[in-house]
Amino acid sequence: MDGFAKYLVRRLFQCFLVIFLGVSLAFLITTLSPIDPVEQTMSLMTSFGATDPRSVDLMREALAELYGLKGNFIEQYLSFWGRVLRGDFGPSLSAFPTPVMSLIMGALPWTIGLLMMALVISWTLGNLLGALAGYFRSNTLLKISGAAIMALNPVPAYIIGLVLLLMLGYIWPILPISGGAQMNLQPGFTFDYLRSLVLHGTLPALTLVLGGIGGWFLSMRSLVSNIVTDDHVVYAELGGVNSGKIFSQYVARNALLPQLTGLALSLGSVFGGAVITEFLFNYPGVGRLLIQGIYRGDYSLVLGVTTISIIAVAVAVFIIDLIYPLIDPRVRLG
Amino acid sequence: MFKILRDLLRYNIEFTIGFILTLAIFLFALAHFWAPMPDSAIYLLPPDMPPSAEYWFGTTSRGQDVLWQMSSAIWNTMLFGLTVTILSRLLAVAVGMISGYLGGRWDQVLMTINDTMIALPNIPILLLVYFVMRDSMSWPVLAATAALLGWNYDARLIRSVTLSLRNREFTRHAVFAGMSMRQILVRQHLPYVMPVIFFTAMNNLIWAIGLEVTLSVLGFSDINRPTIGGMIYWANQHQAIIAGIWWWIAFPIAAIVLLFLGLFLLAISVNEYIDPRSRLSRMGA
Amino acid sequence: MLFKKLIAAALAVSALVAPAFAQDFIAGIPRNEALIIQGPAAQNAEWFNLWAPGGGASTNGLQQLTADTFWFINPEGTGDAAWTNALAADRPIYNDDFTEMTVKLKDGIYWSDGVEFTADDVVFTVQTQIDNPGMGWSAPFTVNVKSVEATDPNTVVFHLNAANSRFHTLFTVRWNAAWIMPKHVFETVDDPLGFNNNPPVSLSAYTLHSYDTAGNWAIWKLRDDWERTSIGMTLDAEPDVKYVVYRNAGNPDARVIEQMNHNLDVINDIAPEGMFTIARQAGENSAYWFDGFPFAHPDPTLPSVLFNHEIEPFNDRDVRWALALMMNIRSVAMGSYRGAANLAALSTPPTGTAIVDYYEPMQQWLAEFELDTGAGTINPYDATISEQVAALVRPQWGDDIPDDADQLKRMFGFGWWKQDINAASQLLQKAGFIKNGNQWLKPDGTPFTIRLMVEGDNIPTLARAGTIIAQQWSMEGIQTTVDVAGPTNGQRLGAGDFEVAIYWTVETWGGHPDLSFFLESYHSSYIKPLGENQPPRNLQRWQDERLDALIEANRKISFDSPEVVQLGMDYLKLAVEEMPFIPLMAYNKFAPFDTTYWTGYPSAANPYAASGPFWSNLRYMIVQLEANPAAAGAQ
Repeated sequence: MDGFAKYLVRRLFQCFLVIFLGVSLAFLITTLSPIDPVEQTMSLMTSFGATDPRSVDLMREALAELYGLKGNFIEQYLSFWGRVLRGDFGPSLSAFPTPVMSLIMGALPWTIGLLMMALVISWTLGNLLGALAGYFRSNTLLKISGAAIMALNPVPAYIIGLVLLLMLGYIWPILPISGGAQMNLQPGFTFDYLRSLVLHGTLPALTLVLGGIGGWFLSMRSLVSNIVTDDHVVYAELGGVNSGKIFSQYVARNALLPQLTGLALSLGSVFGGAVITEFLFNYPGVGRLLIQGIYRGDYSLVLGVTTISIIAVAVAVFIIDLIYPLIDPRVRLG
Repeated sequence: MFKILRDLLRYNIEFTIGFILTLAIFLFALAHFWAPMPDSAIYLLPPDMPPSAEYWFGTTSRGQDVLWQMSSAIWNTMLFGLTVTILSRLLAVAVGMISGYLGGRWDQVLMTINDTMIALPNIPILLLVYFVMRDSMSWPVLAATAALLGWNYDARLIRSVTLSLRNREFTRHAVFAGMSMRQILVRQHLPYVMPVIFFTAMNNLIWAIGLEVTLSVLGFSDINRPTIGGMIYWANQHQAIIAGIWWWIAFPIAAIVLLFLGLFLLAISVNEYIDPRSRLSRMGA
Repeated sequence: MLFKKLIAAALAVSALVAPAFAQDFIAGIPRNEALIIQGPAAQNAEWFNLWAPGGGASTNGLQQLTADTFWFINPEGTGDAAWTNALAADRPIYNDDFTEMTVKLKDGIYWSDGVEFTADDVVFTVQTQIDNPGMGWSAPFTVNVKSVEATDPNTVVFHLNAANSRFHTLFTVRWNAAWIMPKHVFETVDDPLGFNNNPPVSLSAYTLHSYDTAGNWAIWKLRDDWERTSIGMTLDAEPDVKYVVYRNAGNPDARVIEQMNHNLDVINDIAPEGMFTIARQAGENSAYWFDGFPFAHPDPTLPSVLFNHEIEPFNDRDVRWALALMMNIRSVAMGSYRGAANLAALSTPPTGTAIVDYYEPMQQWLAEFELDTGAGTINPYDATISEQVAALVRPQWGDDIPDDADQLKRMFGFGWWKQDINAASQLLQKAGFIKNGNQWLKPDGTPFTIRLMVEGDNIPTLARAGTIIAQQWSMEGIQTTVDVAGPTNGQRLGAGDFEVAIYWTVETWGGHPDLSFFLESYHSSYIKPLGENQPPRNLQRWQDERLDALIEANRKISFDSPEVVQLGMDYLKLAVEEMPFIPLMAYNKFAPFDTTYWTGYPSAANPYAASGPFWSNLRYMIVQLEANPAAAGAQ
């Protein structure tokens, strides 16, 4: 178990490093922002109602106090880290005074649910199909589905989503195209609510799956076709071992290891795809929150979402890293 | 090198198709230099005309010819993509080869930085940069930022190739002969790494163009400069899909899908070529 | 065989889910009792405090359905009918020198939790906001009110710091106004700025039923005791609309799709193309402000080309007029609104009572208006612009476009300035500019270039207008580039960080001729230097002695005096002569209504209420809607 402990420590250190670098980067970028949050709120408040010009100055002073924008760069950086560790990003400017953290916490479960649903489906399905295609090379059905999946692979998520929206939401409207669940439905573990969740999540998840499955399919297929010519597999085939058993025990299991690494490495970009998909389907996750924050010039929200997504992805990678030694004995033994 | 190209074209059907597709689109984009009107002009032509003999791809709601707009758009998009790819290749090759060759402490440090950056989610950071820079955001700046985020994956790949090369005989000979590290890397190792670089470059180009399309569609770029994502953005602004102006969206999307397909085929066929076993099996041995 | 298992599993899951399509669109609420309105995603879904910053402009139904105050002005109305006494029993009563205002309140109005509404709530509202600076109306109350008292449960007397004949406008709803706080709820709260008021107590006919914690929807239900509200008292029968649902319907394409699927009754705004599609495809099931083209509803807001008077050469009236004469307003109308624009040459939006009070009486003066170009005089006004635009859209819309000149004027505008490049050149030369080839040079010899700022995504039609105007000026030798400001727009306008911008600095009551709604802020005493924030609405920082004189005169006369119209006309004439900004058109909103479930929406023929989802006056529309008997039951 010594090897496992060493591995764990290394991975943990890596995780912290990612968080430190990413969060500092996010802070650095944000301090360059030209948006003045007080003026933002002022213009929001005064754009439609009748305002006495003499009152506007009074309003501005009061707001500047409330938002607490003081201090030089180093002070802000240190206090920023303090706030990150406490989980307090201050109030959202476009949703004052709701704290940014509660907005994010409300949206995060939706994104996590969507991503897990999409990732599980596309990773398993992609690897399964890819392994089959790599091993049973002459199967026509696999070849055709392989070609179709490959054609979809490079298409950006936005376009896939748009086409799905039109096909299944407009031309043949069988699926809901916006929202996370049906309106006025009590959230809970009821059958109705769960069914509604699945319905509303289908189009976004389908978009992510269609866009992501190709990558797994291809890499698994080439991995398997390499392993197939390895000595131990040839030996087993010659020895008359059942081909199903060879497929699952000898070939697929070895190919899964690099795919698992690949999963961890791809989390960052999958998150990016989710951002666009959520926006397109109005799904109440952090991606939509981020884009709306940008449209409204809400810099504390944007900073908060970016920071949390960096931390979330780093933690997810770490969790996947933990699974690795369970499958690969070489890690355990150091 | 040309011999390889000729072989690929002759024996590898995927490469041929990919090559033809990419070349065709490149030539189409090149044509924009001879466009009869400036590409940022609007309302010069009757708007919303469907594809016809006069306007092959129809006109947009803004009174532009879809054909010429697409030509400029593809050019600008490809320019952006190539900039990102070239910049990130330079970084990836430099880091990957140095790290693979030197090994030891250098390797550990560089790879730690590399792995750290891989785990960062790109889109939120890019959006953050756009959000902050906004007015002064121009496409070279965006390209530079994207390049800084897109080299990590490939650096690892290049590093592993370099690692295996390091222990080969000819490397040891070069070292004994007194060649400096830089000379060895450039003159001895680079030719072996080239196919990998090419493969990753194609992938990176696809990624960069996809990024550009995604950001432009959201309106996060200079919308007055025609790009593929920009065309879709304007089409959405004018609700083209609902209004039935399908040609404004369909043709740019078709073009980008074809371009991606072409690049993608190029990438996987070269990837296959790198592996001698599959190359031989393809040629019938 | 693995595949077969997978397919079987997929079929099983979809079979489980399929019966979903038979369910209600909204769980537990009959569709034919619910009015579904498009609202934005509420960022702070748990926040129901209208009086904290950011809460006063709430757009998910809170201020539209549950808040109440003294008076409402129907932005579409004219004359006396436009004025509504809500919580107040009568109009405001001022003393002779406008230092005191008395308001008599109606009897028998109750909050939704059963507590009676009295004058104490009003006093509490004013006093609390004076005591806690930073609340929505703290500043105007602090500036104006010396003291306030309830002389009896139905009477409130305000003592003002200085004479102000327009003080009552604080409590007069045009889009929103100072809402009355529930004393019995807020008096138990330590910090009214941090209190989220969830669930809110309602003073009007609807109350909160449920809401989405992610901010995607909010449902409001008709109160059981709806007659005990100011709006309920005016009704004969119970409103048909039992539930009002404000939902976030996604991007404009999704909104159109939802309405065509009959899941969205009222849309706030979509692009002209989206509107035309709905009109063509869902025609029998939808209603609009105008039955046919141009469909759009003109808001009493005036998008214009704003000049920054603190930056040369835009402080020169001749330059401003020259730029106006260079424009081809027909292209601007076609390009931004596909022709569905209501053009305005006067500095007030052509809607509501402005047509009767200002536009019609001033046509003569406009036609005779002369402009001295330096080389001669011209009559720049073109009253036939509506016919010209009609001719441009007739090929596409045919019969929808009437032939009657009067009707055309109401659709497309009473008139605008003729494009006159010659006169424009003469004016520029008069101002000392020289033309070098195709490039205009300023008097100091440098090329005359302009940066035109537009907001961008939020208001795409205005961004289009800006792009076209920029192109027109560029073609005439003044290189103009478009700056998309995005969320920094408000900031930059306020700080004066622009040369020319497309935005609005004129908003009116709509239902009342008094222009003080915007004009009051144009007094030169409010002008701030560049870099400091200019309080709305004089974002162009225009100053003129004649303007100040008009404003001061207006302050001294009563709100309803007929002299108000006279002063208004004087202002409009001054605005034409000086052209401080170039008025373009009324802010047209394309807001289609679905009549599958509800009928009786307001229209140009029947402008009984506002129809914009975010306008608080919307409540007067909601209670008048009738359920469509042909609608299917609960689905």
